[in-house]
Parts: sequence; structure tokens; C-alpha cells
Amino acid sequence: MQLRYVLSELRQGLRRNLSMHLAVILTLFVSLTLVGLGLLLNSQAQRAEEHWGSQLQITVFLCNETATSPNCTGEVTPAQKDAIINVVQENPEVADFHTESKKEAFEKTKELFSEEYFARLPTSPSSMKESVWIELENAERYQGIRSAVEGLDGVSNVRDQRAVLKPIYAAIDALKFGAIGIAAFLIFAALLLVANTIRLAAFARRREIGIMRLVGASSLYISLPFLLEALVTALVGVVLAGGALAAFMYFGVAEGMQGQINFMPWIGLPEYLAALGAVALLGPLLTIFPTLVLTRKYLKV
Amino acid sequence: MIRFEKVTKAYPGQARSALEQVSVDVEKGEFVFLVGASGSGKSTFLRLILREYRPSSGRVYVAGKEINRLAGWKVPRLRRQIGTVFQDFRLLQNKTVTENVAFALQVIGKPKAQVESLVPETLEMVGLEGKGDRLPDELSGGEQQRVAIARAFVNRPMILIADEPTGNLDPNTSVGIMKLLDRINRTGTTVLMATHDAGIVDQMRKRVIELEDGHVVRDQARGIYGYQN
Repeated sequence: MQLRYVLSELRQGLRRNLSMHLAVILTLFVSLTLVGLGLLLNSQAQRAEEHWGSQLQITVFLCNETATSPNCTGEVTPAQKDAIINVVQENPEVADFHTESKKEAFEKTKELFSEEYFARLPTSPSSMKESVWIELENAERYQGIRSAVEGLDGVSNVRDQRAVLKPIYAAIDALKFGAIGIAAFLIFAALLLVANTIRLAAFARRREIGIMRLVGASSLYISLPFLLEALVTALVGVVLAGGALAAFMYFGVAEGMQGQINFMPWIGLPEYLAALGAVALLGPLLTIFPTLVLTRKYLKV
Repeated sequence: MIRFEKVTKAYPGQARSALEQVSVDVEKGEFVFLVGASGSGKSTFLRLILREYRPSSGRVYVAGKEINRLAGWKVPRLRRQIGTVFQDFRLLQNKTVTENVAFALQVIGKPKAQVESLVPETLEMVGLEGKGDRLPDELSGGEQQRVAIARAFVNRPMILIADEPTGNLDPNTSVGIMKLLDRINRTGTTVLMATHDAGIVDQMRKRVIELEDGHVVRDQARGIYGYQN
């Protein structure tokens, strides 16, 4: 009896306020999609950073057999390597560093390409270069360490990440903050819409609610239809946003940019699922929280 | 059953208190008329019993509970022991007579079987057998008030509060309603009725509590509406 009452109230409530519920759903849909996009861009930036290093890094590539640099006389010797690492260790501009073996470099490169394409490349672990990844104390102070290692025996070349990565990271950051900034405004709009919806619904049902209070219905019982309405609109918004994000992942990333830009790894299913999870939590929170606050206000026993 | 101890109720922003040092004791099973001019404090008195407000000072006991101290979540439980009837009936226009009465039980979670036995029984008691499928606007004012009484009484409350229940009804219909309230009173339910209807009060000869400017100016067993009659 109770469940049937609650469900019929829910159906009635959704129908009575259809246009308001649609407004809430659409606003939630767009804002959750943007939040999801912001999260995806964030993971994309992280993936790029894992691969390329951050803006604070410079990479010192060591000689291999085919290196043509004048400092190279064939494969770097252990003694040369120790000398290079020593210089890096002593330099005050260096915050931290790690080395990357040929095999690690090979695995990283493999990640960028599809398997069939990669199989056709003349790449093997031995054709890669060992490298030292240096984290700078300060992105602006890199000349000292650069000139210190550049002339050393066994150093093939020094890559300054800042020049390469700055525009890419700047673009990702701009998109990310743009998406999250717009999402913040839309979330605010969604909260106001939820509040208005409840106000209208409480007004439309004021007689029922008045009688329920009078005969001693519990607060939970009175506010349950409102909470369920909030939950349903949130779920529809989450499903739509999940679909839009999936479309972005499929058409935008998997079928789009991944094919054309293969110098960095792209986000995939795990990142999508993480973003979806966050959106699935945020959506109900955005409708249920104001509903709880406002039902307390409007439906006060 | 209902006990007011030196109860004062002041509304914020109003110079004069709605109730001032009111002490009243109503026993279980009593029938009490609450009379007085508009603004004398009758409604405040009733609303304090329902715990729609808390008193500014003093104590109100209802059904053995001190309502000042009653936690918010326990208020619904208190109200299940009190039936309430208003001048304007307050029926749900889109529900039938049966649905209106059943509503009061459904929303407090009564099992279906109980609803199905209590509702027709109560409708019969108030004299509405055979009219369960009508909508409120198909009924006369007196019949609508009977529906409202059925809704207030269907859960067999210990207290029935009636705020000018005959205010919208003609004298003949009012007599019928009063007979019904009297019958409910005879089942042991305490009835508290605020009214302006001198004829009814004089006829019934029940206890009369008169309020004036928030003070109890008269509390008389088997009283009449005014001093002179």
C-alpha cells in the first residue's frame, strides 16, 4: 500500500511538473557532461605528463650505436653514464631525476601506436636511447644544467620539454578550465531550477501536505515523493551525460584524434569510467541536497 | 488529557501576547466549547495542542506528553492521537469520499486490510454509507463536514479538535454535526470545539471556556455562550 502510494505520487509529480523536470534534466545533462569533459581532459593531461614529463622537465638522451651527435662514439659507456649522472646530481637547478632504460623507452613508444602499425615500424629496444629525466626546481632556471650536460661525452641530445609541451598543456588546461567554469555556472542554474521545482510542487500539493502533517504523517513520508522525483531527474541527467561522454570518447578520441595525433597516449575506458563514476555521484547529489534542504523548509512539520 | 500551565504565547513582532498566563485542565472524555471573539486566542490555543507552535512560556501537556519538550520527529506520533476538523472542511477535491478518509490512514502507514475495514465503518458512523464514491463537490456542506469528521476520527484519536466546524453550515445542518460530535464524545474521545455559534453552545450545555484578549475569563461546567441569556 505504502509503496504503491509513493510510486503513484512519484508518477503524478513527474507528470504535473513535466516542463520543470525537463528543464532540470537538460541543465543537469549539459553541466554533468561538461564536468565529465573537464575530468577527461584532466586525465588526458595526466597521461600526457606521464609520457612526456611535465613542463618542469628536460630530458637528456644518451648515445646509442646509431647516434650522430659529435659527443657520441657509439653506445654510451657505464663510465660516461656515471659521469653524466654525477653532474646532474650535483647541479643546484635539479630537483629530482630518474633514468629511463631502452626497454622502458620501447614500451612507451609501443603504447602510442596500434599494434599492427607498430609491428611494421623498424623499432626494437636496442634502437632506442637511454635517457635521464630531470625535474627542475624552477622552470625558468634551466640554462645551467642544460649547458652542463650538453657537452659531456655520451650525451646525444637534450630535449627541453618546456618549448614542446607548453602549448599542448596550455590548450588542455584552457579547455579543462573552460569546461569546468561553464559547468559551475550551469550547476548553479541547475540548483536554482531544482529549488523552483520543489517550490512549485510543494505549492501544487499544499492541501495534501497540510493534511498529511495534520494526521501525523512522518516528515520522511511527506518528503519521499520529492526525493524520488529528484533522484529520477538526476538519474536521467546522468544517463544522458554518460551517453554524451561516451560519444565524445568514441567519435572524438578513439575515432578522431587518436588516429591523427599519435605523439601522445590517449585516454581510454578506465578514464571514461572514472569520469562517469564522478558524474553519477555528482548528479544525484546536485538534486537531492537542495531537495533535502528545501523540503525541510517548505514541509516543516 | 490536555493541560495548560500558565501558558503564554507571543508572536514575534506583536506587542500583545495571543495567550497570557492561561491555565486549563481538560479531562479525558470531556466535551469543551472554546468561545470568544475573533482574535481572543482560540486558534492559538488549538494550535498549541497540535504542537504547530511551542508556547513562549509555561507548559502544555497533551496525552501525557509535555509538548514543549517533544522532539520534532515525535510530533507526527502526537498528531496521530489528535483528530482535527476545520470550518472549511479541507477535503482533497480530486479524491472520492472513501479516498479522502483512507488517505489519513495510508499516509501514516496503516496496513491495507485495516484501511479497508476502518473506512467503511467510519463512513457508516458519520452517516455517509453509500456515498463513498462521490467527489466532495457532489456533496452538501454538511456532508462534506461529515467526511472531514470521518477523516479526523478514522484513526480513533484520543482527542478531537474542531475549529468552528459549523461556521459554514446552516442551523439545521449544524445540529446534525453537533449530534455526530456528541456521539464521538460518547465513545470516550475528548472533544474540544472552538465556536461562535451561541445557539449550539446554549443547547448542548457542556463545559465552556471563554477567552478574551488571550486570558481565560470564564471556565464553566454546563455553561452557555454568553453571560446573559
